[in-house]
Amino acid sequence: MVSRIKVGASPDRQSLRSAVDYHLEVTLAKHTHNATPEDYHLALALAIREPVIRAMNATEERVLKAGAKKIHYLSMEFLIGRLLANNLRNLGLYDTCAEVAADMGVNLADVLESESDPALGNGGLGRLAACFLDSLASLSYPGYGYGINYQFGLFRQTFLNGFQREQPDNWAVHGTPWHVERRDQSSMIPLYGRVEGDLDDSGQYNPHWMDWNSLIGVPADIPVVGYGGRCVNFLRLYTARAPAEFDMAIFNEGDYLRAMERQVAVETVSKVLYPSDSAEAGRELRFIQEYFFVACAMRDIFRRHGVAGHRIDDFGQFNAIQLNDTHPALAVVELMRTLIDEHAVSWNQAWEITQQSMAYTNHTLLPEALERWSATLFGRVLPRHLEIVYEINRRFLGEVALRHPGDAARLQRMSIVQEQPHKEIRMAHLAIVGSHSVNGVAEMHSELVKSQLVPDFYELWPERFNNKTNGVTPRRWLLNCNHRLATLISAELGTGWIADLNQLARLEPLAADPAFRRAFRDIKLQNKADLAQRVRTVTGVSIDPNTMFDVQIKRIHEYKRQLLNALHIIHLYCRLSEDGTALPCPKTFIFSGKAAPGYVLAKLIIKLINNIARVINSDSRVNRSLRVVFYPDYKVSVAELIVPAADLSEQISTAGYEASGTGNMKLAMNGALTIGTLDGANVEIARDVGAENIYIFGLTAEQVVERRLAGDAARQVYETNPDVKRVLTRLTDGTFSAEDRDLFAPIVRALLDQGDHYMHLSDFADYAQKHQRAMLDYCDVEKWSARAIINVARSAHFSSDRTIHEYAADIWDLKQVI
Amino acid sequence: MLMEEMPEGDCLVISLMEQRLDAVIAASFRETLVDRIDRGCRNLVLDLAQVGFMDSSGLGALVFVLKHLVHKGGRLHICGVTPGVMAVLKLTRMDRVLKTFDTRQAAVAA
Repeated sequence: MVSRIKVGASPDRQSLRSAVDYHLEVTLAKHTHNATPEDYHLALALAIREPVIRAMNATEERVLKAGAKKIHYLSMEFLIGRLLANNLRNLGLYDTCAEVAADMGVNLADVLESESDPALGNGGLGRLAACFLDSLASLSYPGYGYGINYQFGLFRQTFLNGFQREQPDNWAVHGTPWHVERRDQSSMIPLYGRVEGDLDDSGQYNPHWMDWNSLIGVPADIPVVGYGGRCVNFLRLYTARAPAEFDMAIFNEGDYLRAMERQVAVETVSKVLYPSDSAEAGRELRFIQEYFFVACAMRDIFRRHGVAGHRIDDFGQFNAIQLNDTHPALAVVELMRTLIDEHAVSWNQAWEITQQSMAYTNHTLLPEALERWSATLFGRVLPRHLEIVYEINRRFLGEVALRHPGDAARLQRMSIVQEQPHKEIRMAHLAIVGSHSVNGVAEMHSELVKSQLVPDFYELWPERFNNKTNGVTPRRWLLNCNHRLATLISAELGTGWIADLNQLARLEPLAADPAFRRAFRDIKLQNKADLAQRVRTVTGVSIDPNTMFDVQIKRIHEYKRQLLNALHIIHLYCRLSEDGTALPCPKTFIFSGKAAPGYVLAKLIIKLINNIARVINSDSRVNRSLRVVFYPDYKVSVAELIVPAADLSEQISTAGYEASGTGNMKLAMNGALTIGTLDGANVEIARDVGAENIYIFGLTAEQVVERRLAGDAARQVYETNPDVKRVLTRLTDGTFSAEDRDLFAPIVRALLDQGDHYMHLSDFADYAQKHQRAMLDYCDVEKWSARAIINVARSAHFSSDRTIHEYAADIWDLKQVI
Repeated sequence: MLMEEMPEGDCLVISLMEQRLDAVIAASFRETLVDRIDRGCRNLVLDLAQVGFMDSSGLGALVFVLKHLVHKGGRLHICGVTPGVMAVLKLTRMDRVLKTFDTRQAAVAA
């Protein structure tokens, strides 16, 4: 007997307790005396699962009944984070659950802490997808995610002597209560083979895709609980399985082994998430992963289209498909193939449907980061698809040639097929050609997409290009991770802001209220104390919550410039230890982030930061004024701990490189002031919070380009700025590398001999000056609190709810189903 | 491999009594049908009502049989096509080449 838990109605403590007891005893076969926090977590999650599933089924019924158009969000990554706490808050059951846990003699915080993060993504792109799913459900849009159920997510990061070490992250090894397997909705996915063409009855070319190998995509849903608990959508993730497992005839031992090898090879497809920036370019397995999930998704979308009673002709009217970067761009071809080959739709009609359905989000301005696949590999794995790509390209170039006769260079630039130096398929071009909308993710980025990245396409189809500035969900990133602040806000404004972040603007007058500022400060201090306690447990380093917490939490990459931050810390250390100059206020620098396993320089930067931390933290001359911590194994749950505790948010990418950023939004929303460049969404944050409430420094994107053309700016800075010279000298004089003075020589070479591509030295002086300003400002606690409150009050624009409303109105033509 | 054969009119009706037409039985399937064709069968009706799954090997065998039969001036009609098999025929556009019928009677009569 399992007690029903009513969702949406008043929390029912007794039935929740009964359900937890039941699952603990019956499902998990445990008793309270031998149950671990993991057991309680599972029992609690299973207890909640029932009403969640019912709500998910009810939501699907409503959508079906309404005959509503759906949005299918295709992404190789979904960085969803821990689910139990988020689901409890969205269901309105958190407090009830805390009471039940207390009744059972269990600390809810410990239980929640035992849940592992599903690390199904590398960073911002995957987390954006997760925020979007939350907003879709919270706003009652019929929106669904499609992706891969990676067994091993992003690697687990540990440090050995300050160096990053990677270990497999088998996130679901203890099982996850949130998977709802849907074996009956599995799909057969063909790969490889060849195309044999003949003529059909009407004399038309009739290609047959023959001799393929197949794998089966088995879906499992993760419910996506919207705020309020009424709308529950799902994220459908696919696992690759061999078509027939042990149900094969075994002829002899040789065949058996080959069959098992093949099974292992097939199941590798969904085994591991590729860490980004790795040399996956050209890797066949990655290509197969991309096709696998796209093909599974398209089959499922067609199936659900049929279940809803719609006709094939109306596919575009009822299905919007968003391509999160170019990774799912094969969906353009797969949709064409399905319509033409399996539903006998004419090319022109199929193309119209495809463009009507598809929309592409670009996330990078680096041309070298745009995906290209060797035509040889493409044709070997997907021979029929390559034919379709060539035909798409032929027709597309015909259109271009009509507009620009005789312009062979333009055709070469725009072609989906790059001929030289190697024949490759340009996936961004395919995505653009096959979509009715192409959006960037911040105003500046979207302008640069048009003017720099793909100007030819913008010239051809200006109406397709638009901007959709990224956003973050205020449920996870304020209500859940900073519940103290959320409670304070709700006490002043009511709880309407949770689903309508525009209401935060009403906080602004409270920045002038000393009592509110004090309460705000107290919360920040408590959050910092929590973080300090965790830092001590995890790293052994003691940090003082009364110092300024200066955080840089994101993937480690040269363009994000953790190195600039590190160089500045060395500068502060030198001022303290050599010049005897006190800092205006004591500071704690907190880093967290992972470097791709193959990214040598990024891993060296991690080592540098760890070495700086070791030296500074043990130097009694400075360690009351300055501390450095690198919190290991950055993931969503770590971000949820650090974001509420931050005073200063480092968003210091080289201008022109960060498409948007979303960490910048989370931190501002939680009352951190930003020190940053005019890059990505920083520009819009600066505009909204006001110049007096942010620290902008450094070269603009245009100035970066000019500076590069002007010559060896880095060397000039080195020669003329004694602070810079001192810092770089410390990198190679053993101060931070007693064991090997040459350890950080590659960093110095990158800065001085290889042109300092990311402008660390050019931006150093202004960066240091703004930091000095920030430290001085921090000493005025009342004014700092006021500015922090204003950051929160003016962060409404950066809610993913706003972003999703814009997508729904401008790109998807999507209506809410209440 | 289990199969039933029944002459009906001037057709030979072969019912494949297997759930899967795949790599395991594709070779023997092909050999058996080719043998019947070489022995003079020109109107072949293949009943696949029991077959729920067909892989590329099974399809390859089917296509080989079709070509062999057509080369000899014969015809191949297929009936009892299950959704799983039809999905493969559509994927490969063989549904535009192979003549399929809803019932055995219709396949024989045609």
